[in-house]
Amino acid sequence: MHKLSTKKAFIAYALFGWALVLVADRVSELRVYQGATIAILTLAIASIILLTGYSGQVSLGHGAFLAIGAYGAAIAQSYWGSPFWFTFLIAILVSAAFGFILGFAAGRLSGPYIAGTTLALAVGLPTLANQFAFLGGETGLVYDAGSPPARFGEEFTLYKWFFWIAALVVLISIFLLRNLLNSRFGRNWKALRANPTAAALAGVNVASSKILAFTISAGVAGLAGALLGMISIVAPSAFPLSLSFTIITGAVLAGVTSLLGSMLGAVVLVVVPEIADAIAHRLGDSEKISTNLPGFIVSALLILTVLFSPNGPAEAMRKRREAHAKH
Amino acid sequence: MRELIGTLLIGITLGSIYSLMALALVLVWRSTRVINFAQAGQAILTTYIAYEIINRTGVFWLAILFAVVAGALLGAGIEYFLMRTLFRHADEGPVAAIAPVIATLGLLGIIRSVVGMIWGNEFRSIAPPVSTTGFVFNGQPLPFSMLNLVVIIGAAIVMIIFSFIFQKTDLGLSLRASAFQPEIARLAGIRVGPIRTIGWVFAGAAGAFAGVLVTPNDILSPNSLDVLLVFGFVAAVIGGLESLPGAVVGGLALGIGVALITNYISTVLVFPSVFIVLILSLILRPNGLIGSKRVRIA
Repeated sequence: MHKLSTKKAFIAYALFGWALVLVADRVSELRVYQGATIAILTLAIASIILLTGYSGQVSLGHGAFLAIGAYGAAIAQSYWGSPFWFTFLIAILVSAAFGFILGFAAGRLSGPYIAGTTLALAVGLPTLANQFAFLGGETGLVYDAGSPPARFGEEFTLYKWFFWIAALVVLISIFLLRNLLNSRFGRNWKALRANPTAAALAGVNVASSKILAFTISAGVAGLAGALLGMISIVAPSAFPLSLSFTIITGAVLAGVTSLLGSMLGAVVLVVVPEIADAIAHRLGDSEKISTNLPGFIVSALLILTVLFSPNGPAEAMRKRREAHAKH
Repeated sequence: MRELIGTLLIGITLGSIYSLMALALVLVWRSTRVINFAQAGQAILTTYIAYEIINRTGVFWLAILFAVVAGALLGAGIEYFLMRTLFRHADEGPVAAIAPVIATLGLLGIIRSVVGMIWGNEFRSIAPPVSTTGFVFNGQPLPFSMLNLVVIIGAAIVMIIFSFIFQKTDLGLSLRASAFQPEIARLAGIRVGPIRTIGWVFAGAAGAFAGVLVTPNDILSPNSLDVLLVFGFVAAVIGGLESLPGAVVGGLALGIGVALITNYISTVLVFPSVFIVLILSLILRPNGLIGSKRVRIA
């Protein structure tokens, strides 16, 4: 598969963005909201793809970085009165700073230790919000994107405004990430994942490359978190442990190595609750089932994927094609 | 003085429970080289089973017995049906390397949602089997109750049984040999496969026991054991992740630390301190307090 040049890719992203705007004008409010969710999950999954698919590190608790980003953005807005667009930058910086600290520890460890440490972070962080008054407790903080500019007209709803912001921010971020992953850094990370010793011999600074990957990945996750806070709320309940699991499932479904796949993973994650709702309805609308079925399906998908095509369905199909071509 | 003694005793109570969870994680790690995040799920399922038995019969001790047996069976089932399949499919690639860990995570999600579907997500509680009023010391009450004493004694019994099995029996020798060098153990005639399953059986039983012991002091919900999982992991890491005595020492140290911080500083600082201890022990003492000299790789 040949890669598009940066200029062509830019045009492709811009066209895709334009198409999204056109589609968003023609679908229902719920679909627009789901579109925004897909965009945000795409970005969150992309942060895992950078970390796991490229630099070969694991994080089971990326939901924590989303939470840090969202709280950072909300604090910037409600306590320091910073303008809305600027809060995204704060979200990236705060979350990246935490990512740097964790990456610093992670660079010295491998596999299970960093998996457990990130999981510990995701379990513990939401409980912190309940204990410090300035984080707003259970109800969380106010984080407000403002109303859409008047010149878009009366018809322009709040959800459409959210969608525009989310889609724009995510498209720009993914475009930048794509360029980053195609650059020297991306190649270094890939070399690192394939064989750390060989990468070190080839002149890649293993420790700093790993820390850099963790920092950037956390920053990207923080931005996704701020967007998520924008469309939902900035409170502990918006960032449960299951959010981390959801993101990982999306990344695993996406095949972890392709940035393009991250959108596919995000679509699946948004479609699953819809399907679960339909099934729960069939089963008689028990509340116990309808609240737990989405989690069940997501977890089952995760296990089935790692059992039968650990590197993602796309990779499995490519292998089958190659095997087929040989005969 | 009275306050310090009370705090220390509470710390030992917490620590015994963390130790049990740490033991469960270490046993699985030694047998399969996986950190079993599903342990929290296994324990929550068995704790709900215990809850159900207590509600129907009112006999706490019967509930513990059933929970432990269910935990052992569940552990065996997971190793036999999921982990073996996973290792048979072992593949190259970025996810394949972390597939076992991801699978335990998926399993945690599945068990938790199944528990939610059966019992619902609302908080429940298990009535304590013995008194929760503190003992009286020098005419003043301690925060330490009969229930806490029962927890400590229960955990101690499990640890004594484990150390007897591991140090004095042939089974224990096989378990230690397969953990140390699976290849050589196999050459020495040990059937490593079944021994692995037994590691999961012991782990499942220990986790189930921890779940039932902690719940009367706490609430029960599909994710009420997440924190126990994290503290168990930290305890196991402090102990070096390889060693069973290490897990116990790590658990007790963590429990006492948590009790001291809660009582003398602030509950708010418990989690941040535990997290800092985790990071520091990973960086400074990567082999654990009493861990082996081997470097932490894989």
